[in-house]
Amino acid sequence: MDTQEAIAESTPIETHGQSDSKRDGQNKLTLGPNDSLEGKLTYHGHMSVEGGRAEGEFRIGGNIEIGNGTVVKALLEASNVTIKGEVEGRLTARDKLTLGKTAKMNGDVQVRRLQIEDGASLNGYVRMGDFEQQAGS
Amino acid sequence: MLGPRDRVIGQIYIEGDLRVGGVVEGEVEVTGDVEIDDMAKVKASLAGRDVTIRGHVNGAVVARKRLIVARSGSLIGDVRVARLAIQDGATFSGKVSMGAGSAAASSTKAVEAPAPTAVAPEPKLATEVEKPAAPIAAEPLVAVPKITPAVIIKTAAPAPVAELRVAGKDGKGRPGAPPIKGKPDKNKKKRR
Repeated sequence: MDTQEAIAESTPIETHGQSDSKRDGQNKLTLGPNDSLEGKLTYHGHMSVEGGRAEGEFRIGGNIEIGNGTVVKALLEASNVTIKGEVEGRLTARDKLTLGKTAKMNGDVQVRRLQIEDGASLNGYVRMGDFEQQAGS
Repeated sequence: MLGPRDRVIGQIYIEGDLRVGGVVEGEVEVTGDVEIDDMAKVKASLAGRDVTIRGHVNGAVVARKRLIVARSGSLIGDVRVARLAIQDGATFSGKVSMGAGSAAASSTKAVEAPAPTAVAPEPKLATEVEKPAAPIAAEPLVAVPKITPAVIIKTAAPAPVAELRVAGKDGKGRPGAPPIKGKPDKNKKKRR
Protein backbone atom coordinates (compact mmCIF):
# COMPACT_ATOMS: atom_id res chain seq x y z
CA MET A 1 0.00 0.00 0.00
CA ASP A 2 2.77 2.32 0.78
CA THR A 3 5.93 2.88 -0.99
CA GLN A 4 6.79 0.39 -3.63
CA GLU A 5 9.23 0.55 -6.35
CA ALA A 6 8.92 -1.78 -9.22
CA ILE A 7 12.27 -1.97 -10.79
CA ALA A 8 13.25 -3.69 -13.94
CA GLU A 9 15.47 -6.69 -13.97
CA SER A 10 18.62 -4.65 -13.88
CA THR A 11 18.17 -3.86 -10.22
CA PRO A 12 21.55 -3.83 -8.58
CA ILE A 13 20.31 -5.90 -5.70
CA GLU A 14 22.51 -8.72 -4.63
CA THR A 15 21.05 -11.90 -5.95
CA HIS A 16 23.09 -14.50 -4.16
CA GLY A 17 23.81 -17.03 -6.80
CA GLN A 18 20.45 -16.83 -8.40
CA SER A 19 21.56 -15.25 -11.59
CA ASP A 20 19.05 -17.30 -13.51
CA SER A 21 16.16 -15.74 -11.73
CA LYS A 22 17.55 -12.33 -12.27
CA ARG A 23 17.91 -12.71 -15.96
CA ASP A 24 14.71 -14.44 -16.83
CA GLY A 25 13.10 -11.17 -17.80
CA GLN A 26 10.73 -10.94 -14.90
CA ASN A 27 10.29 -7.73 -13.03
CA LYS A 28 11.42 -7.38 -9.54
CA LEU A 29 9.79 -5.53 -6.72
CA THR A 30 12.24 -4.29 -4.17
CA LEU A 31 11.55 -2.82 -0.79
CA GLY A 32 14.43 -0.84 0.57
CA PRO A 33 15.13 0.13 4.16
CA ASN A 34 12.70 3.02 4.12
CA ASP A 35 9.91 1.23 2.33
CA SER A 36 7.04 -0.64 3.76
CA LEU A 37 4.29 -2.72 2.36
CA GLU A 38 1.08 -3.71 4.04
CA GLY A 39 -1.72 -5.68 2.54
CA LYS A 40 -2.29 -8.22 -0.17
CA LEU A 41 0.06 -8.47 -3.06
CA THR A 42 -0.12 -10.72 -6.06
CA TYR A 43 2.83 -10.23 -8.28
CA HIS A 44 4.28 -12.12 -11.15
CA GLY A 45 7.85 -11.05 -10.91
CA HIS A 46 10.31 -11.45 -8.12
CA MET A 47 10.21 -9.70 -4.84
CA SER A 48 12.96 -8.64 -2.58
CA VAL A 49 12.72 -7.09 0.84
CA GLU A 50 15.97 -5.54 1.89
CA GLY A 51 15.64 -3.90 5.23
CA GLY A 52 12.08 -2.73 4.71
CA ARG A 53 8.99 -3.84 6.50
CA ALA A 54 6.28 -5.96 5.00
CA GLU A 55 3.05 -7.30 6.35
CA GLY A 56 0.16 -9.06 4.74
CA GLU A 57 -0.25 -11.71 2.15
CA PHE A 58 2.12 -12.00 -0.76
CA ARG A 59 1.67 -14.37 -3.64
CA ILE A 60 4.62 -14.09 -5.87
CA GLY A 61 5.08 -15.78 -9.21
CA GLY A 62 8.84 -15.57 -9.02
CA ASN A 63 11.16 -15.66 -6.10
CA ILE A 64 11.19 -13.89 -2.79
CA GLU A 65 14.27 -12.77 -1.01
CA ILE A 66 14.14 -11.48 2.49
CA GLY A 67 17.32 -9.79 3.46
CA ASN A 68 19.15 -9.66 6.71
CA GLY A 69 17.60 -7.44 9.32
CA THR A 70 14.21 -7.45 7.68
CA VAL A 71 11.04 -8.33 9.49
CA VAL A 72 8.22 -9.79 7.46
CA LYS A 73 4.91 -10.86 8.87
CA ALA A 74 3.03 -12.41 6.09
CA LEU A 75 1.58 -15.35 4.33
CA LEU A 76 4.14 -15.93 1.64
CA GLU A 77 3.95 -17.93 -1.50
CA ALA A 78 6.61 -17.99 -4.17
CA SER A 79 8.78 -20.27 -6.23
CA ASN A 80 12.06 -19.90 -4.48
CA VAL A 81 12.20 -18.29 -1.11
CA THR A 82 15.43 -17.13 0.41
CA ILE A 83 15.30 -15.86 3.95
CA LYS A 84 18.05 -14.10 5.79
CA GLY A 85 15.87 -11.96 8.01
CA GLU A 86 12.92 -12.67 10.23
CA VAL A 87 9.70 -14.09 8.93
CA GLU A 88 6.53 -14.81 10.77
CA GLY A 89 3.68 -16.54 9.03
CA ARG A 90 2.89 -19.42 6.81
CA LEU A 91 5.15 -19.95 3.89
CA THR A 92 4.87 -21.92 0.71
CA ALA A 93 7.80 -22.39 -1.59
CA ARG A 94 6.78 -24.05 -4.81
CA ASP A 95 10.37 -24.90 -5.38
CA LYS A 96 12.92 -24.28 -2.72
CA LEU A 97 13.18 -22.60 0.62
CA THR A 98 16.56 -21.48 1.80
CA LEU A 99 17.12 -20.30 5.33
CA GLY A 100 20.39 -18.47 5.67
CA LYS A 101 22.53 -18.38 8.76
CA THR A 102 20.83 -15.28 10.06
CA ALA A 103 17.29 -16.36 9.29
CA LYS A 104 14.55 -16.65 11.86
CA MET A 105 11.47 -18.35 10.62
CA ASN A 106 8.37 -18.73 12.70
CA GLY A 107 5.51 -20.53 11.09
CA ASP A 108 4.52 -23.52 9.08
CA VAL A 109 6.32 -24.21 5.91
CA GLN A 110 5.46 -26.14 2.82
CA VAL A 111 8.25 -26.67 0.38
CA ARG A 112 9.49 -28.88 -2.35
CA ARG A 113 13.09 -28.54 -1.39
CA LEU A 114 14.58 -27.21 1.75
CA GLN A 115 17.96 -25.97 2.76
CA ILE A 116 18.71 -24.72 6.20
CA GLU A 117 22.09 -23.35 7.03
CA ASP A 118 23.54 -23.90 10.42
CA GLY A 119 22.65 -20.97 12.62
CA ALA A 120 19.21 -20.45 11.18
CA SER A 121 16.29 -20.76 13.49
CA LEU A 122 13.02 -22.39 12.58
CA ASN A 123 9.90 -23.05 14.55
CA GLY A 124 6.95 -24.66 12.89
CA TYR A 125 5.82 -27.60 10.86
CA VAL A 126 7.68 -28.49 7.75
CA ARG A 127 5.88 -30.28 4.99
CA MET A 128 7.80 -31.43 2.05
CA GLY A 129 6.89 -32.96 -1.21
CA ASP A 130 5.76 -32.24 -4.71
CA PHE A 131 2.97 -29.90 -5.07
CA GLU A 132 -0.06 -32.01 -5.58
CA GLN A 133 -1.50 -30.88 -2.32
CA GLN A 134 -0.83 -27.23 -3.16
CA ALA A 135 -3.15 -24.99 -1.16
CA GLY A 136 -0.70 -25.10 1.70
CA SER A 137 -2.82 -27.22 3.97
CA MET B 1 28.94 -48.72 15.57
CA LEU B 2 26.18 -50.82 14.13
CA GLY B 3 27.18 -52.09 10.74
CA PRO B 4 24.98 -52.24 7.66
CA ARG B 5 23.91 -55.77 8.43
CA ASP B 6 23.27 -55.23 12.09
CA ARG B 7 19.84 -54.78 13.43
CA VAL B 8 18.49 -53.57 16.73
CA ILE B 9 14.89 -53.69 17.76
CA GLY B 10 14.18 -52.28 21.15
CA GLN B 11 15.65 -49.66 23.35
CA ILE B 12 19.23 -48.66 23.11
CA TYR B 13 21.03 -46.50 25.56
CA ILE B 14 24.60 -45.61 24.89
CA GLU B 15 27.11 -43.61 26.77
CA GLY B 16 29.31 -42.34 24.08
CA ASP B 17 28.76 -42.03 20.38
CA LEU B 18 26.73 -44.22 18.09
CA ARG B 19 26.96 -44.82 14.43
CA VAL B 20 24.21 -46.74 12.73
CA GLY B 21 24.61 -48.41 9.38
CA GLY B 22 21.80 -50.92 9.58
CA VAL B 23 18.28 -51.20 10.86
CA VAL B 24 17.17 -49.80 14.15
CA GLU B 25 13.65 -49.85 15.48
CA GLY B 26 12.56 -48.59 18.83
CA GLU B 27 14.21 -45.96 20.89
CA VAL B 28 17.74 -44.69 20.82
CA GLU B 29 19.34 -42.60 23.51
CA VAL B 30 22.90 -41.56 23.19
CA THR B 31 24.87 -39.27 25.43
CA GLY B 32 27.29 -38.44 22.67
CA ASP B 33 26.82 -38.00 18.97
CA VAL B 34 24.63 -40.04 16.66
CA GLU B 35 25.37 -40.69 13.05
CA ILE B 36 22.96 -42.41 10.74
CA ASP B 37 24.74 -43.64 7.65
CA ASP B 38 23.50 -43.65 4.09
CA MET B 39 22.16 -47.15 4.06
CA ALA B 40 20.67 -47.10 7.50
CA LYS B 41 16.97 -47.38 8.15
CA VAL B 42 15.89 -46.10 11.49
CA LYS B 43 12.39 -46.25 12.81
CA ALA B 44 13.01 -44.89 16.22
CA SER B 45 13.10 -41.86 18.36
CA LEU B 46 16.61 -40.55 18.52
CA ALA B 47 18.22 -38.48 21.19
CA GLY B 48 21.78 -37.34 21.19
CA ARG B 49 24.05 -34.38 21.29
CA ASP B 50 25.01 -33.93 17.67
CA VAL B 51 22.80 -35.92 15.38
CA THR B 52 23.77 -36.41 11.76
CA ILE B 53 21.38 -38.11 9.40
CA ARG B 54 22.46 -39.46 6.05
CA GLY B 55 20.06 -42.34 5.84
CA HIS B 56 16.38 -42.79 6.47
CA VAL B 57 14.93 -41.88 9.79
CA ASN B 58 11.33 -42.10 10.80
CA GLY B 59 10.77 -40.86 14.30
CA ALA B 60 11.22 -37.98 16.65
CA VAL B 61 14.67 -36.53 17.03
CA VAL B 62 16.09 -34.60 19.93
CA ALA B 63 19.48 -33.06 19.41
CA ARG B 64 20.85 -31.31 22.43
CA LYS B 65 23.29 -29.51 20.27
CA ARG B 66 22.79 -29.81 16.57
CA LEU B 67 20.92 -31.80 14.00
CA ILE B 68 22.26 -32.15 10.51
CA VAL B 69 20.29 -33.75 7.75
CA ALA B 70 22.69 -34.37 4.89
CA ARG B 71 21.66 -34.31 1.28
CA SER B 72 21.24 -38.05 1.19
CA GLY B 73 19.26 -38.03 4.40
CA SER B 74 15.57 -38.21 4.94
CA LEU B 75 13.84 -37.48 8.17
CA ILE B 76 10.19 -37.78 8.95
CA GLY B 77 9.32 -36.83 12.44
CA ASP B 78 9.22 -34.03 14.90
CA VAL B 79 12.41 -32.44 15.89
CA ARG B 80 13.66 -30.58 18.92
CA VAL B 81 17.05 -29.11 18.46
CA ALA B 82 19.26 -26.31 19.54
CA ARG B 83 20.65 -25.87 16.05
CA LEU B 84 19.56 -27.27 12.76
CA ALA B 85 21.16 -27.60 9.38
CA ILE B 86 19.41 -29.19 6.45
CA GLN B 87 21.34 -29.58 3.26
CA ASP B 88 19.78 -29.11 -0.11
CA GLY B 89 18.44 -32.38 -1.37
CA ALA B 90 17.53 -33.71 2.03
CA THR B 91 13.99 -34.71 2.78
CA PHE B 92 12.38 -33.51 5.91
CA SER B 93 8.85 -33.41 7.21
CA GLY B 94 7.81 -32.67 10.71
CA LYS B 95 7.58 -30.06 13.34
CA VAL B 96 10.65 -28.13 14.27
CA SER B 97 11.13 -26.62 17.71
CA MET B 98 14.21 -24.60 18.19
CA GLY B 99 15.92 -21.95 20.20
CA ALA B 100 13.52 -20.77 22.84
CA GLY B 101 12.27 -24.32 23.07
CA SER B 102 15.60 -25.69 24.15
CA ALA B 103 14.53 -25.68 27.78
CA ALA B 104 11.28 -27.26 26.77
CA ALA B 105 13.28 -29.62 24.66
CA SER B 106 14.91 -31.28 27.58
CA SER B 107 11.69 -31.48 29.52
CA THR B 108 9.87 -33.14 26.68
CA LYS B 109 12.78 -35.38 26.34
CA ALA B 110 12.42 -36.26 29.95
CA VAL B 111 8.85 -37.26 29.29
CA GLU B 112 9.70 -39.32 26.29
CA ALA B 113 12.59 -41.02 27.92
CA PRO B 114 13.41 -40.27 31.52
CA ALA B 115 16.59 -42.20 31.70
CA PRO B 116 18.96 -40.35 29.47
CA THR B 117 18.18 -36.95 30.81
CA ALA B 118 19.10 -38.10 34.21
CA VAL B 119 22.25 -39.75 33.13
CA ALA B 120 23.34 -37.21 30.61
CA PRO B 121 26.50 -35.44 31.54
CA GLU B 122 25.47 -32.54 33.70
CA PRO B 123 27.73 -29.83 32.44
CA LYS B 124 26.36 -30.11 28.97
CA LEU B 125 22.81 -29.83 30.10
CA ALA B 126 23.60 -26.99 32.37
CA THR B 127 25.15 -24.97 29.62
CA GLU B 128 22.45 -25.62 27.13
CA VAL B 129 19.41 -25.32 29.23
CA GLU B 130 19.05 -21.71 30.00
CA LYS B 131 16.10 -21.87 32.28
CA PRO B 132 15.19 -23.68 35.42
CA ALA B 133 15.39 -27.09 33.88
CA ALA B 134 18.90 -27.60 35.17
CA PRO B 135 18.03 -28.57 38.72
CA ILE B 136 15.29 -30.81 37.46
CA ALA B 137 17.73 -32.51 35.24
CA ALA B 138 20.17 -32.92 38.06
CA GLU B 139 17.83 -34.40 40.63
CA PRO B 140 16.81 -37.56 38.92
CA LEU B 141 20.44 -38.50 38.84
CA VAL B 142 19.84 -40.19 42.12
CA ALA B 143 16.11 -40.47 42.27
CA VAL B 144 14.92 -41.82 38.99
CA PRO B 145 15.60 -45.38 38.16
CA LYS B 146 17.87 -45.61 35.24
CA ILE B 147 17.22 -47.25 31.99
CA THR B 148 14.80 -50.05 32.21
CA PRO B 149 16.59 -53.18 31.29
CA ALA B 150 16.90 -52.93 27.59
CA VAL B 151 19.49 -53.48 25.05
CA ILE B 152 22.33 -51.59 26.52
CA ILE B 153 25.25 -51.12 24.37
CA LYS B 154 28.40 -50.22 26.04
CA THR B 155 30.84 -48.43 23.91
CA ALA B 156 33.84 -46.49 24.95
CA ALA B 157 32.14 -44.62 27.73
CA PRO B 158 33.75 -41.47 28.96
CA ALA B 159 35.01 -42.23 32.41
CA PRO B 160 33.30 -39.44 34.34
CA VAL B 161 29.95 -40.34 32.94
CA ALA B 162 30.37 -43.90 33.94
CA GLU B 163 31.03 -42.78 37.47
CA LEU B 164 27.85 -40.79 37.50
CA ARG B 165 25.90 -43.82 36.59
CA VAL B 166 27.45 -45.91 39.22
CA ALA B 167 26.75 -43.27 41.78
CA GLY B 168 23.13 -43.28 40.76
CA LYS B 169 22.84 -46.98 41.24
CA ASP B 170 24.45 -46.75 44.61
CA GLY B 171 21.89 -44.23 45.64
CA LYS B 172 19.26 -46.78 44.91
CA GLY B 173 20.84 -49.13 47.35
CA ARG B 174 22.30 -51.59 44.95
CA PRO B 175 25.93 -50.98 45.62
CA GLY B 176 27.17 -54.21 44.23
CA ALA B 177 25.03 -54.39 41.15
CA PRO B 178 26.88 -53.76 37.99
CA PRO B 179 25.10 -50.87 36.37
CA ILE B 180 25.59 -52.07 32.90
CA LYS B 181 23.59 -55.03 31.89
CA GLY B 182 24.97 -55.86 28.53
CA LYS B 183 28.37 -57.35 28.73
CA PRO B 184 30.65 -55.28 26.65
CA ASP B 185 31.27 -58.23 24.51
CA LYS B 186 33.78 -58.31 21.84
CA ASN B 187 32.08 -56.47 19.05
CA LYS B 188 30.37 -54.22 21.51
CA LYS B 189 26.84 -55.00 20.68
CA LYS B 190 24.04 -57.16 21.79
CA ARG B 191 20.97 -58.11 19.91
CA ARG B 192 17.66 -59.33 20.86
